[in-house]
Amino acid sequence: MSSPRVTLYANVSPAAQCVTVALEELDIPYEIKTLSLIDKEQKSDWYLKINPNGRLPTLIDHSKEDFAVWESSAILLYIAQHFDTEHKISYDPVSEPKLYSEQLQWIFFAHGGIAPMYDESTRLFSVLEGRLKDREWLVGPHYSLADIKAFLWIHGAKIIGLNLVDYPNLQKWLGRIVSRPKTDKAMGIPERMDVETFVKKPIEETRAIGAALFGFKKVE
Amino acid sequence: MTLSVAQSVPVALEELDLASVHRPADEVRTLSLEDREQKSDWYLKINPNGRLPALIDHSKGDFAIWESSAILLYIAQHFDTERKISYDPVSEPKLYSEQLQWLFFVDGGIAPIVHFMRFAPEEVPYAIKRYRDESIRLISVFEERLKGREWLVGPHFSLADIKSALRAAKLLNVDFNDYPNIKKWLEKVFARPKTDKGLNVPSLWDVEAYVHTAINVSKRPLEVSRAIAAASFGFKKVE
Repeated sequence: MSSPRVTLYANVSPAAQCVTVALEELDIPYEIKTLSLIDKEQKSDWYLKINPNGRLPTLIDHSKEDFAVWESSAILLYIAQHFDTEHKISYDPVSEPKLYSEQLQWIFFAHGGIAPMYDESTRLFSVLEGRLKDREWLVGPHYSLADIKAFLWIHGAKIIGLNLVDYPNLQKWLGRIVSRPKTDKAMGIPERMDVETFVKKPIEETRAIGAALFGFKKVE
Repeated sequence: MTLSVAQSVPVALEELDLASVHRPADEVRTLSLEDREQKSDWYLKINPNGRLPALIDHSKGDFAIWESSAILLYIAQHFDTERKISYDPVSEPKLYSEQLQWLFFVDGGIAPIVHFMRFAPEEVPYAIKRYRDESIRLISVFEERLKGREWLVGPHFSLADIKSALRAAKLLNVDFNDYPNIKKWLEKVFARPKTDKGLNVPSLWDVEAYVHTAINVSKRPLEVSRAIAAASFGFKKVE
């Protein structure tokens, strides 16, 4: 195992998971470090220096003087720009400008649109369902950052009870993605999230995860 | 003056002197939110998310771009060759990355906060308080970042400042006198003549009923706020 080019601070969450998927898909050697959410380690001074928002994930690029990148979508784009030279999971801004722009559009859509707004999720899933009609992937002819960003929210929604029976295109697309061996491997890092795992966690830990993910405190 | 994040696009166009080439009066097409025109078939072909804004690039076969941050980045990539309001991914990769980080921070971190604080169909005291606390925390992130800095990213005004200033200025119940770095920065951003011009380009909303300003919003009838929320975020009105 070659020495890690990057360190990823991450706990289990869709935001962090998309980064591990990208790292695995590109065979980038990385080290993952989890923080103690219960101890609010993400709000400690040393961590706030590298991520002023005090959230996860954050990527440190050791090949660039330990340059820190935060915001999962920004990390994906950084990884693609510096490590995906063959454009296996991304599109090139210069040689494929329209596909690059479309990739950005769907990443921003998934970033601001699906994640924080639960009530909106049904409508937003319909947007994706429509997009995936007669398409294998969200953008262009291959798997890309846009798919990586978006699928984890669908997958996560499934975990908390969303029924995909009304979304046949989403189902097929999701199936295509989770059957990719490297993506599947990444979904076990740092920890595989499924209903059983989530439900067995002590309540303080799920609350800490909720608080760290969305800034929520659970209503008592 | 329109302090909506959608206005970041006319601001960028003005800052790059693009609007004067493209005659803004012709090119800014307002849609009727009341008639839910943004959900019509012709518009959904342009933007499957049925939201505003969207940009059509006639110089590239009417290529359509939606999501305001994606539009800003598109404009920067294709039209900001001198890097006046953006950073170059190849020659300034760290600054380019930082610019992206702040754009995503604004989109994911603050936007839902603003919604819940101003437009939620029901008033839920707990939710309001929690989101107020969160908005204070987010504002503090900006305040800290702007300590000893003129601009959010790098040595000049950029997309990050455009987007973030518009978002930050919209937050209610924040006394900017408590945040001197943000206050100074906001004043600098809004004092730029081209930015000011962009803020006053005919709004993407139906002007008469829905003009946004931080001052007027509290005086706006609740039904109008809710209609805007429904159009902005797809919520159905609570009857």
